[in-house]
Amino acid sequence: MRRLTSIALLAATLALAAPAVAQVRAPDGAPNPTASSVNEEMLFKQDPKIHGRISIPNATAANLIQPQGREWRQFRESWLPWIGGLVVLGMLAALGLFYFTRGRIRLEHSEESGKKILRFNAFERFSHWMTASCFIVLSLSGLNYIFGKRLLMPLIGPEAFATLAQYGKYAHIYLAWPFMLGVLFMLVLWVRDNIPGKIDWIWLKQGGGLLGDAHPSAGRFNAGQKMVFWMVVGFGLAMGATGIMMIFPFAATDINGMQIMQVIHSLIGVVFIAGILAHIYIGSLGMEGAYDAMGSGEVDLAWAKVHHDLWVKEQQAKTASGPQLGRGQVPAE
Amino acid sequence: MKAFLVAVAAALVLATAASFLLAENQRFAYQAFATSGARVSDPGNNLVGPRWTGDIKDPGQGGHHKAETGS
Amino acid sequence: MARMKFLCDADRCIECNACVTACKNEHEVPWGINRRRVITLNDGKPGERSVSMACMHCTDAPCAAVCPVNCFYTTADAVVLHSKDLCIGCGYCFYACPFGAPQYPRVGNFGSRGKMDKCTYCSGGPEVDLSVAEYEKYGSNRLAEGKLPLCAEMCSTKSLLAGDGEMIAQIYKERVIKRGYGSGAWGWKTAYRETIAI
Repeated sequence: MRRLTSIALLAATLALAAPAVAQVRAPDGAPNPTASSVNEEMLFKQDPKIHGRISIPNATAANLIQPQGREWRQFRESWLPWIGGLVVLGMLAALGLFYFTRGRIRLEHSEESGKKILRFNAFERFSHWMTASCFIVLSLSGLNYIFGKRLLMPLIGPEAFATLAQYGKYAHIYLAWPFMLGVLFMLVLWVRDNIPGKIDWIWLKQGGGLLGDAHPSAGRFNAGQKMVFWMVVGFGLAMGATGIMMIFPFAATDINGMQIMQVIHSLIGVVFIAGILAHIYIGSLGMEGAYDAMGSGEVDLAWAKVHHDLWVKEQQAKTASGPQLGRGQVPAE
Repeated sequence: MKAFLVAVAAALVLATAASFLLAENQRFAYQAFATSGARVSDPGNNLVGPRWTGDIKDPGQGGHHKAETGS
Repeated sequence: MARMKFLCDADRCIECNACVTACKNEHEVPWGINRRRVITLNDGKPGERSVSMACMHCTDAPCAAVCPVNCFYTTADAVVLHSKDLCIGCGYCFYACPFGAPQYPRVGNFGSRGKMDKCTYCSGGPEVDLSVAEYEKYGSNRLAEGKLPLCAEMCSTKSLLAGDGEMIAQIYKERVIKRGYGSGAWGWKTAYRETIAI
């Protein structure tokens, strides 16, 4: 029985092989040199790109066809403008809506109004503003890659726009470095005040004082600020890592890798911009007294007691005469 | 305000430094893709040439270069 | 007008690299930049094939679509060209291109890599035809002189064909019918979303 099966198998194999043998011959009976030759369809089945050998020293030129750029193009031209536009404009709309419904969060005056407490020292403010100023230029030049040709180019013409985009590109590449340094500075400066805790959960459950009139207690940074901190650190490092891989082509990854890096970089970028817009809003227009923390570094003691009660207590416990208290003012207690 | 101005100045200084460092790391295609058998210390006076930076500053002067280097 | 295409008959290509040399010499292409290159597949094995590849001047070109400064344009002959005055060297075309055509004069990092360079189908750039400025930036303009790209014109085995897409497809079809085999028009599916039915 077994022998019978094997004979049947052999016969079947021969029957299958017969047409293949016939194909090796050209119509005039000459051997067909393509019988074993490579073809595009077969190579694409093995690998999504066709790669060979090349005699020039540029090894990256050895890829014959790599159609993955089509998917990347689909993302960049069809998806990204909509995602970017919706995320950024959506955040602006949400902030506008919040401003007109909730209004500006006013300073609540108490007997301690007018007294100042140092919130951020000079180096902290320096790190913040270095990162922030770079971020503004990076975000505008980054958005220019997506929206420039759609919005700006029709207004100012191709030549002026190309010049602007060229400087935008230089700014994007070179200001990335102080930005990354600033993110690292802020990470070192503030990480110990940003460890999430139980108090943050309570803060979040009470709406952080944004939605109601409650003032849940908070340490140096409340849960909202901690979220901003971790967003800046996380997104900042991710933008830095993906950006560096694109700045140095082929150093870490090939074209397909760079396409993926660009997708990650741009998606995080637009979300980062939206997040920072909210941060800018609450730090300036959204809340009276908040800007001073990064402006002069000193905040109104009444404001600090309302918004960062635990931190004020801690600072005042640390010192009675207070190097942290500015302009020779004595602490209230 | 002072911290802000210092920060902006520092960002500009660091960006300039980064631009020099990146320029230092920059390599011409004719350097990067030359083999030991190729002598491209002077790649010639065509599109590349020692003056061909890849950026076009004065397109009208192209013919002049050729005449100048030819002499 | 014609719809210009390249077609490399891989069954005829002998990897002599004459197309590469012709291109480099005709346009004075800088060292290290290859507008055209020859890639060998299955090197050293039975069924090895070589394909000469350059910019394929795609239909609905991806480079043109992704360019953030819209520096690309398509001529009446369907040749995809770009303006080096507008190009900012961002490298998006080089991410999008399926054929690895876009290249840059400097390669160390992205910051100042210079203006992109690629095959022009021997038809220059946006400058006045046959002007010095055009030659300096893009090389010669053979199309304006009524000639086809030099790489294909001087291909010793007539493997590389250039010209109107329908005409070169017809030539290729006739060859395939006569000799009885053909490995197809490499890259046509990717570039033009069509292939030559034989």
